[in-house]
Amino acid sequence: MTSQILPARANPPAAAPLRRFFSEYGHECVVALAILVLLVGVGLYNPRFISARNLGSIFSGNAYVAIAAIGMTILIVMRQIDLSVGALIGVLATISGSIAVSGAPIWLAWLAPVLCGMAINAVSGLLVAYAGIPAIVVTLGMMAVLQGGLISVTGGAWISNLPADFLLAKMAVFGLPMPLVWAIVLTIAAGLWLRLTPYGRSFYLIGGNAEAARAVGLPVRRRIVMAFVIHGAFAGLATLMFATQLQVIQSTTPPNLELLVITASVIGGVSILGGTGTVFGSSLAAVLFAAIGSALIFVNVSAYWQRAFIGALILLTVGADMLRRRRAASAGGK
Amino acid sequence: MKIATPFGRSLALLAPVATVFAGFAQPAQAEWTGGDGQPTAPLACDGSPAEVAAVAYNGGAVANEGAKAGQPLKVVDVPKLIGIGYFDSTSKGVLKAAAELPDVTAITDGPTQANIDEQITLIDNYNPSGIDGILFSANDPVAIAPVLRKALAAGINVVGYDSDAEPDARQWFVNPSEFNGVAKSLIDELAADIGKDGSFAIVTSTFTTPNQARWIAEMEAYQQACYPEMTWLETVEAQEDNILSFNQATTLINKYGEELDGIVGMTSVATPAAAEAVTQAGLCGETAVIGLATPNAMKPYVASDCVRAAVLWDTTAMGYAAMQALHAAANGTLKAGDTSFAAGALGTLQILNGSQILLGAPTVFTKENITNYDF
Repeated sequence: MTSQILPARANPPAAAPLRRFFSEYGHECVVALAILVLLVGVGLYNPRFISARNLGSIFSGNAYVAIAAIGMTILIVMRQIDLSVGALIGVLATISGSIAVSGAPIWLAWLAPVLCGMAINAVSGLLVAYAGIPAIVVTLGMMAVLQGGLISVTGGAWISNLPADFLLAKMAVFGLPMPLVWAIVLTIAAGLWLRLTPYGRSFYLIGGNAEAARAVGLPVRRRIVMAFVIHGAFAGLATLMFATQLQVIQSTTPPNLELLVITASVIGGVSILGGTGTVFGSSLAAVLFAAIGSALIFVNVSAYWQRAFIGALILLTVGADMLRRRRAASAGGK
Repeated sequence: MKIATPFGRSLALLAPVATVFAGFAQPAQAEWTGGDGQPTAPLACDGSPAEVAAVAYNGGAVANEGAKAGQPLKVVDVPKLIGIGYFDSTSKGVLKAAAELPDVTAITDGPTQANIDEQITLIDNYNPSGIDGILFSANDPVAIAPVLRKALAAGINVVGYDSDAEPDARQWFVNPSEFNGVAKSLIDELAADIGKDGSFAIVTSTFTTPNQARWIAEMEAYQQACYPEMTWLETVEAQEDNILSFNQATTLINKYGEELDGIVGMTSVATPAAAEAVTQAGLCGETAVIGLATPNAMKPYVASDCVRAAVLWDTTAMGYAAMQALHAAANGTLKAGDTSFAAGALGTLQILNGSQILLGAPTVFTKENITNYDF
C-alpha cells in the first residue's frame, strides 16, 4: 500500500502509454501470456503441438465460444447473467439447420438464428428489466423452456443432409478458417464499440453503479434489455459457427456450454460484480481453453482434467477479483 | 501498486497452466486404453464359433407375476438420453412393436444428457404413475438397480436393452451383440483398412460408460491375440458430444501425423465426428475411420469414399425386440428357463447367459448395403 502514499516515481515519458496499457489490459496480457507459455512449453515437448494445423484447430475450435462470450461479457459487465445461452445455441442451431434442409434460401438459414436469438433474449431482458425478476431466475427458467421445447419439437432426431453451401464454418477467408476470422473481427469490433462510443461505455457505467447512471439520466432499464438483445445476436452468430462445423446437428443442447461461455468471460477478466472486463479477455480465455484441451491430449492427460483446470481458473480469478475489490475499498479507492 | 494489482490478481491464472506441465514430469506409464479391466473372452481369429454354456435364469422376479396377462399395457421407454440418432432409432423400434401388439401404448422419455441421476429421478417419477412396464438402457448398471427393483416389487415388468443393469434388477435384457463379437468385427474391419501392423487411436465416450469400456477391453484382448503387430496409440474421451469428438479426433490427427493409420470411434457420435475430422484434414485414404455408427450419419463419408465401413447392430430391431420381450414377459409367454424367444417379425432369438436375449451378430455397413438402412 505504501506506493499509493508515496508520490508516483518519475517515469520517462515514453514509458507512460505502455504503462497505462498494462494497467488497463494487465489481465488480458496475463491470459495471453498463459496461452504463450502453454504453446511454447507443450511445443518443446512435442513440436507438432505448434504446427500450423494444430494452431488452426486451437484458434478456430473454440471460436463459437469466444463469439458467445462477447455477448456474455456485455451482460456480466451490466451485472446480469444468462444461464440459457447453451440451450439457446442448441435451439438456434436446430432452427437454422431446419431452414437449411427445407430448401429455403441459405441466407435465411443464416439470418434466422441471429434474429431468433435477439427475439428470445428480448423476452428475458424485458422480464429482468421491467418485471424486476433477477436474471439468474429468468434465464434458468428460459434454459428449461428451451431445452424441453427443443426435445419435444424435434423428437430427438438429428438434422443431417445439410446442403454444402450452408456449412459456413468450413469456408475460408484469405486462407484463414471462417470461425477464426469471425471471432477476431467480432471481438475487435465489439471491443472498440464498448470502449470508444458513449453508448458502449454506458454499459460499464450502469454495471459499475446503476444509481449513479440513473442520476445522470441513462435509461437503465432500456439498456438492460438492449444488453440481452445484443447478447442474443452474438449467440446467433456463435450458432452459425457452431452448427455449420459438422455435417449433422444434434437435437440436444451442447452439454455445459453455458458454463464454458460464462467461464470464458470471467477468466477473461470480467468481474462478476459488474462494471469491468473486456471482450478481448473473454476471447483470449476461449482460446486458452482450447489450448488446454489440446495440450492435455499431447501430454497424455485425461480430458476430464480440462474441467478441473477450468474450474480452478474460475475460483482463482473470482477470488482474486474479490480480494482486489476489498483492498481497493479498504484503501478508500474506487 | 496500481500497475502490480492487475498482474498480481491474474498471475494466479498461470498456476493451472503450470500443472499441465506437471504431466511431463511423469514418465509415460502403461497407456490407458479405456478398457474396464474385467476378464475377456476373445473370439477365435478365424471366427469359429465359441462354445455356449447353459446358465440358469438369473433375472429378477416381478411381483404378482401373471396378473397382467391379457391386460392392456402402458409402457415407458427410458433410454440413456434422448436427442441422439441412436436412441431415436431404438425408440422407433419400440413404437413399431407397440403398434403391432394388441393393447400396448408406449412412450419414450429420457434424460437430455447421459446422466444417471436424471435417469433415476425420471424412473422414480414414473414408478407410481400407473405404468405397467419399463424399458431402459442404463447409464450406470449399479446405480440404476435399486429404482428398477422398486418397480419390479410394484408389479411393473422391466426389460433392458443396449446397456444392462444388474441382472436381478430387470427380467430380461436384449443384448444387441456380444461384446467379443463387436470387438472382433471392429478390429477385423480396422485391420482390413490399416493392415496387420498399423497404428490406431480410439475416441470413446467416458471412463465409466459400461458398454464402451467392455468393448475396448475385448478389442484389446482380440487385437493382442490376432493382430499382435498392431500399435494401440491411445484412447481419448469425448463424451457423446459432436464438437468435442471432432476436436479430440482432430487433435489426435495433429499429434500423430502420419504415424496414425486409423481412428476407431466407440460411439455413434464419435465415429461420424472422426470421419469429419479426417475429411477436413484432407487425409481421406491416409487415415482410416472405423467405428460404431448409425448408417445415416455415415452415409456422406461412405459415399465420398473417406470411410469404407461402419459397424452396428440394427438398433430399431433392438428396440422392437425389447418391447416384444416385455409384452411376452407380462403375458407369461417368455419365462425363466426359456432358451429361445419368438420376437415377432424378427423370428426366433437365442437366450444366453441366463436372461439375455441375443439380437445377433453386428452388421457391417459398407457402400454396398448402407443405403438399405434408414436410422
